[in-house]
Amino acid sequence: MSDTEAAEEKFAVEVRAMSKWYGDFRVLHDINLTVKDGERIVICGPSGSGKSTLIRCLNHLETFQQGYVSVNGHELNEGMKNVEAVRRDVGMVFQSFNLFPNLTVLDNCVLAQRKALKRSKLEAREIAMNYLERVKIPEQSDKYPTQLSGGQQQRVAIARALCMEPKIMLFDEPTSALDPEMVNEVLDTMIGLADTGMTMLCVTHEMGFAREVADRVIFMDGGVIVEENKPDEFFDNPQHNRTKTFLGQIL
Amino acid sequence: MFEFRFYEIWRSPEYVDAILNGCLTSFTLTLIGGITGFIMGLTLAIIQLPQNPAIIRLASVSYVEFIRNTPFIVQLFFVAFGLPLLLDYQWSFTTSALLAMTLNFSAYFAEVIRAGMNGVKTGQYEAAASLSLTRWQSLQYVILPQALANVLPSISSQFIFLFLTTGLISEIGVEELTWSGRFVADRTFRDFEVFIVLTVLYMLMVYIYLGGFQLIKRWAFPWWSDRR
Repeated sequence: MSDTEAAEEKFAVEVRAMSKWYGDFRVLHDINLTVKDGERIVICGPSGSGKSTLIRCLNHLETFQQGYVSVNGHELNEGMKNVEAVRRDVGMVFQSFNLFPNLTVLDNCVLAQRKALKRSKLEAREIAMNYLERVKIPEQSDKYPTQLSGGQQQRVAIARALCMEPKIMLFDEPTSALDPEMVNEVLDTMIGLADTGMTMLCVTHEMGFAREVADRVIFMDGGVIVEENKPDEFFDNPQHNRTKTFLGQIL
Repeated sequence: MFEFRFYEIWRSPEYVDAILNGCLTSFTLTLIGGITGFIMGLTLAIIQLPQNPAIIRLASVSYVEFIRNTPFIVQLFFVAFGLPLLLDYQWSFTTSALLAMTLNFSAYFAEVIRAGMNGVKTGQYEAAASLSLTRWQSLQYVILPQALANVLPSISSQFIFLFLTTGLISEIGVEELTWSGRFVADRTFRDFEVFIVLTVLYMLMVYIYLGGFQLIKRWAFPWWSDRR
């Protein structure tokens, strides 16, 4: 961040007093979170704590019932019209990759560029190959997703999201569905992305990644943000008992 | 002991011609009815998607339910004899047959395709949405290709089943294979032999269709065979 003042005026993500219910069950409770441009946030917490739900609210895959959320200057609300405009700025990587099995690796990366951004075929292919090279997988471009390993699929999924040249990237447990030996190739890709200055919100339990990359670590439990701190502080000196218990269980 | 006398059928070119023409008529009518029925069924299935207004979804569901729970012969007679009275316009029996088959096939196909769309994982919708594709774009490029690949085997067996019921259109005088069989049997009195020949011919045509479905699979869903 060269210009801290400007960054403070305009947040990449701004969440104020946001709550969400599934029926009578309150999954997110009065969430407050601001993320500056270029900031890298790691969100962790036990399953069911609402961490995935929170980041899914940021690209309107989930709606919320109370509070204020704005993403890259767009205010989000339940019945909003132009969702696509918000999503154009927000890339997402899923736990189960969710590549389109009916399209080749290249076409997975080209489709939304052509249809949503109206790029020419040539330009879209060029950009796709560029990002496939960045995730070190250009030689697989003509294969179908199911012919790739899990780690490769997830790297393609990252490239696919990056092709849209988003301002913010959301990662929803990107390594949880991977075999252990493939976790690092995906984390390395994410670290490489962090080095480019991308704003990132990652739901993950990879604490090594959090320590290396995150500007802030957020701990959630029961739909509440229990604690947030710089990684060193967070891991070495957790403030809340629930955080201590959680860290004790996973480290 | 019954003695089979197939030569009673072969010896007259008139009979052979009738049977071959019957084959051709059955085959082409089912093919055309299958294609138009598929297009209409696809439309009905898309109409039933949750994002559409409740009233048109209800209309589509009602239509599919109505067709699937009434006999084909009744639908056929309605189209051939009832509808012309209501509209005061008479069309050919072949047209009636094609129309009835299209209406009938579409309901069965709609049901299969709808199930196929339900079978596509929510993650696919979410990934498409997260890439800022619109609902219609997601449907067109992501969901439908997968749904159709999922249900191709069901569509093919449904189609074959419907093909085998098309003998009913002989009831309104369309000169298809069952009609030709009766025509020859009435003149040769070799009903048993004639219907054995028909059985073989129906089976042969089924295998031609099945071959066609294999080609469709390879051409339209090349990614499918590589699926784990």
